Parts: sequence; C-alpha cells; structure tokens
Amino acid sequence: MSQILTASNVNKKFGSFQALRDVNISIDKGKIVGLIGPNGAGKTTLLKSVLGLDSCDGDLRVLGIDPFKKRDELMKEICFIADVAVLPKWIKVSQLLKFTEETHPNFSIEQAKAFLSKTKVNMEHKVKELSKGMTAQLHLAIVMSIDAKLLVLDEPTLGLDILFRKKFYDNLLNDYFDNERTIIITTHQVEEIEHILTDVVFIREGEIVLDANMEELNESYFEVMVNQENFEEAMNHKPLTIRKVFGKHIMLFKSTSRDVIETLGEVQRPSVSDLFVALMQEEEV
Amino acid sequence: MKTFKALLVREYWEHRGAFLKTPLVIGIVMSVVLILFYLTTDRFAVKMNGGELTDFGAKSIGSVDPANIQFGIDVFMLGSASLYHFVLFFVLFFFILGSLYDDRKDGSILFWKSLPISDTQTVLSKLATATIVAPLIFVGGLIVSHLLFFVILSLILLLYGINPFTVLWANVNYINNWGAFLIGCMMQALWLLPVYGWFLFASSFSKRRPFLLAVFVPVMVGFIWYWYNALVNFNVLQVGVFKTIGIYLAKGFSPFTSGLGFSTESLDFNPTEQTGIEVISSMMNGFTNPSLYYGIVFGAVMVGVAIYVRRYRNTT
Repeated sequence: MSQILTASNVNKKFGSFQALRDVNISIDKGKIVGLIGPNGAGKTTLLKSVLGLDSCDGDLRVLGIDPFKKRDELMKEICFIADVAVLPKWIKVSQLLKFTEETHPNFSIEQAKAFLSKTKVNMEHKVKELSKGMTAQLHLAIVMSIDAKLLVLDEPTLGLDILFRKKFYDNLLNDYFDNERTIIITTHQVEEIEHILTDVVFIREGEIVLDANMEELNESYFEVMVNQENFEEAMNHKPLTIRKVFGKHIMLFKSTSRDVIETLGEVQRPSVSDLFVALMQEEEV
Repeated sequence: MKTFKALLVREYWEHRGAFLKTPLVIGIVMSVVLILFYLTTDRFAVKMNGGELTDFGAKSIGSVDPANIQFGIDVFMLGSASLYHFVLFFVLFFFILGSLYDDRKDGSILFWKSLPISDTQTVLSKLATATIVAPLIFVGGLIVSHLLFFVILSLILLLYGINPFTVLWANVNYINNWGAFLIGCMMQALWLLPVYGWFLFASSFSKRRPFLLAVFVPVMVGFIWYWYNALVNFNVLQVGVFKTIGIYLAKGFSPFTSGLGFSTESLDFNPTEQTGIEVISSMMNGFTNPSLYYGIVFGAVMVGVAIYVRRYRNTT
C-alpha cells in the first residue's frame, strides 16, 4: 500500500464554525509533508482527525483504517508528538519506557535506551525534573524507537532553543527517516524544516489552498531580483508580492516557464515562508 | 491482558503515596498513640500509688477469661478496620475524580492516546484500580498496621512481665477479622459502584472542576426534587433523591453494617460487638437486596458514558 493517508470531502464543524471544509488530500509512503497554515487555520483539527482523537465527517482513511473508530489499532502503526509538554510529569523515565514496552508491540526499549545514552536524560529522573529540551529528547527517543509507518509531529519543537531544534530535526532525518516511513510536520518555524520537506500543504480557514511537492514548487514559483529598468515590464507579469530591499524590487511570480522570468533579473528559489505569505495574501485580495 | 496489567501498574506508580502510605501512616499513628498511652498511664500510676495498681492489674490479667480478651481484640481489629474502610472511600473519591481529568489538564492525555490502548481499557483500568487494586493494598496495609500494633503491645506487656504469646497472639482471630475487612472491601466496592461510576463520569466530562460536578449536581437535583414534591405534591415515582444517594453512601462508608436493612430491629446491631464471622455473614445478606443490583446497573451505565465521553475529550 503506497497511500498512507487519504481524505475525501472531510468536513468538521464546531457549532456553526466550519473548522475543515471539503479537505481532499492523499499522502504517499516515503514523504515528509509540511502542513502549514496560520493560527486557527485547522491544522490541529485535521491532525486530530487523522490521529483518531476527534470525529469528522467524510471519508478519512489512515493506513486503510478509520482513525476515530479504531484509534487503538491505528496507534500500533503510527505515532505522534503533539507538543513538548505532553509527557506525564510524575512518571520516572525508566517507568515510562517500561510502560511503553508493555503496551506497544512495535517499541524497542533497547533502541530507546541507546538514544537516551547520548543525552543527559537519566533513567531514574522524573519527567518533571527534566528541562524542556530534555523532555523533547526523551519523547523523540521513544517515538524513534517505535517502528511506525507514519509519524505525526504537531509543533514538536515549540519553546525549544535553536540548538535543540536543529538537533531534533538532524536526529529525525539521520536516525529515523527512510523511504518506508512517512512524516507529517506542522510548525510555525517553516524556515527550519523546509530543507527536509518533500511536500508542502498549505491550509487556510479549513481549506487546502496548496498541495504540491517541492519540485513542482520550484518549477512554477520564482523569486526575481528585478533591476530598475525592468520594473515596468515585471509589473505587467503580475507579481504575487513585491518587496523592496536595498533599492531593488524582489518579486514573486507564478509562471509555467522560467525563460520569460529570467529576462527580468536574477532568479532565485523562493523560500516556503515567502511563498506561504504570498499565497495567504493572494487569497485575501 | 498484558496491556491491562501495565495500566494497573501505571496507576499504582502514580498513586503509590495515596494507596500504600495512607494505611501505613494510620497504622503508625495507632502505634504511636499506644506508646503515648502507655507512657502517660505508667507515669500517672507511679505518681499516684508508686505503680502498685499497674502491677496488680498486670498480675490479674492472667486470670481473665480468654474469651473476653479475644472479644476485646476483635473490637479493636474490627473497629480499626471500619476506620480503614472510611479512609479508603476518601482516598478513592479523590483518586477517581482526578483519574480522567488530571491528564487532560496537563496535556499528557495526548501521550497516553498515542499508545495503542483503547479508551475502554483506560477507563476500566481506573475502575479496577478503585474496586480491586487499591482495596487489596489497603488489606495489606491494615495487616501490617495490626501486626505493628501487636508487636508494640507485646513489648509493653513484656515490660510488665506478661507473656504476650499466651495473652495476646494466641487470642487473635487473624483469619476472621482480616477476612471481614477483605469481604468488607468487596462489599464496599459493590455498594459504591454507582457512586464510582458517577465520579468517573464527572472526571471524564468535567471541563473545569470535576469536584463541583460530582458533588453539587446531585445535591442540586436533590433539592429541586425536594421542592418540587413539597410544592406540587405529585410524587408518582415515590423515590427520594437524597434518600437513595444516602443509602448507597451509608452502606459504602460502613460496609460492616451494609447487610442490614433500615428497619428498627436491626438498629441495635453494633458491628464492633460481633465477631468477624458474624460480620461477614451479615454483609453477605447484601446480595439478597435488590438495591445492590440497581446500583451496579447504574454504575455500569455511568462507566459506559465515561468511556464514550473519554473518546472526544482531549483537553479541558
């Protein structure tokens, strides 16, 4: 089965508020997908449905399973980190590993101990005695020791300093990810993860506004440093955004061919965050 | 099964202080009181009459009918066991109210739910902890406390030159009295099942303070029902909310008397004046009382609702 997740016409309402609107998406095996959207766009709502933490309307299948109906079965094959602070405070590290080993058929306690031996986390410590960064390392060590088909990370590095964040993603990429696994990440620090993503999904007001892989993006979105003499012509091509830096205009274009754009100035690859800002503004106009 | 066992062990890890230390601390307090009692009586006796009275009392104890000594020990053991039942209820009250709420409050529910454990298993593990695991730990705690008390009593007896083995240890009805506490815990769990079920529901459902929901909603309903009947005088159901709740709580607070009805002839039944065996057979009468089964059905329904709510509620 190459399709890990399929959603067709998924809707979710909280009272009169439409949190998800006709979400259609499918994610294949071996992808690292960034789910990106402003606050309140429905990222967490979508992930909750995917993880079986909440119900939704429409047809949602994760590994062929209806998540809300059979969450316990699904959790044998997928794992998630929702926030850094979710490990229970009272538990000892050794107890946490033991409990996970007893309840999770695909968890390797040796592997978790090996990961933790490289950190300052002590087996006899309680979670509340660990720093925020160490708690995140502990959680990541547990998650990486689970042989799961899908890993979902919802703001996994919130509140961590830059050193931990970098290490977190390095570990994830080097020690965990392979083509048999799939990762879905949401974060506000898009710049830090864009180099590891294979796909991006933009979500806004409960709707998917972009669902593309990185190569497609690089072939259809261009950032150009426009020279002053080409300004008028560039404006005719209807740039998505214009920024002014050191007297030069940096414009973002959506175009099917690179050739025309190249005549306007120096072409660069746009960052996901710039693209995100551009697309969010475009929708508002 | 392995998962369920791990869940029970998890509850023990989290609540070891309440389940294990509480009965032991009461036992230590009882023993300390005994020592203080000895010290004050001894000083007092020496001051008043040079200690002759205590010596005289110590000598005469050998001639007391063993049946009377046994009776006295039974009174102590069943009386303290009754106290343990009462304390166990309060420990469980706070345990259950927090059991499905605390992890939502601190967000750790999202970790528990990331493991392949169904919500049914989770909720049932809390119920099994309240009805089986915690009472069994209390049984162990009561036994250890009694033994500690008897050891200290033996030392005091030795100081007076009395042989503790013939006077004390040979006269203890270990099986009957400890058995009565064990059976009492079982009957307590059965009688309080509707209460536990309601508390589980409150813990699972409440967004702010499970305590308020668990306690004040029944009180409010009781008052509304009371005033409705007082004003309208049209009570078709012929049930009182307070009376119903009161019956189950009374039986749960004091399981030793739970086998009795509320008729006048049983009012002079004092459990501490009975032997362990009599108390056990009296408690067993509860199985002939239909109220027990109504309560169990209500409890089961509330547990079912708690499981249903648990599936949706991930935060507070």
